[in-house]
Amino acid sequence: MTDAAPAIFIALEQSSFAAAIRQSPWLYLAANVGHIVALVFFAGAVAVMDVRRLGGLAATAPGHLLARARSFAIAALAGMAMTGFVLFSAEASHLALNPVFQLKIALVGAGLVNVALYEFLAKREVEKLAPGAIMPARARMAGLLSLVVWVAVAACGRSIAYF
Amino acid sequence: MMRAVTFFSAFALLTGAAFAHHGWGSYDAAKPVTVTGPIVTSKFENPHAAITVKASDKVWTVTLAPTSRMSSRGATEKVIAVGNNVSAYGYPSTVEKDEMRAERITVDGKTYEMR
Repeated sequence: MTDAAPAIFIALEQSSFAAAIRQSPWLYLAANVGHIVALVFFAGAVAVMDVRRLGGLAATAPGHLLARARSFAIAALAGMAMTGFVLFSAEASHLALNPVFQLKIALVGAGLVNVALYEFLAKREVEKLAPGAIMPARARMAGLLSLVVWVAVAACGRSIAYF
Repeated sequence: MMRAVTFFSAFALLTGAAFAHHGWGSYDAAKPVTVTGPIVTSKFENPHAAITVKASDKVWTVTLAPTSRMSSRGATEKVIAVGNNVSAYGYPSTVEKDEMRAERITVDGKTYEMR
């Protein structure tokens, strides 16, 4: 534990919830594995969405494909958030001060802003498109940003332990 | 199709080897130290067990291994109990003051590998 972290993170790390995670022989490990399994599903669903929005997989209309992949992505994101919170709690004070973790959280925020912008500004238009139709520039931009941001999030996640 | 394959591959590469929790990158392997003395505090916890050791120069925080690995190597909670004398060979942290990561520890004449 480090005293330099904001009080809320110290309190979280000192909570009985966090202590239970550290003291269990399998909870931390299970959350670690679960985080990666959720990531695999998230990455798969997001890759389908991004490829489609960038103009690939265009043999069918985008609306249905994107909606299905979106459901998977939301469920997987929820799984990552839950398992991530377990992993974070065990070492909250150190992680809160870790520059790569901070960057990762900022990037997750950026990724979610990109999602919101797409949902409000481009989704309705994309859902009406026929198979093979040219994707609007806004949708392509959202797809490209999504790919870049989520890959960067994954890279940061892997790098936290090295800083 | 090729584009999709490329994207999936990029994701797969970035998520590879995801189960090793902690890197050794922030420890200076060029300056190994041996910390010897009584164990002052002991935490048999995940993601790593950790002890503090009162060495002749100062009190070191010695980072050990995940509890499951500790147990499978025989380095149980009892082995690293407070009061036991330990000798820890490892590398000083380049980030945290007075912290080192143990490559191996010796307690009561028995050596346990931590890596």
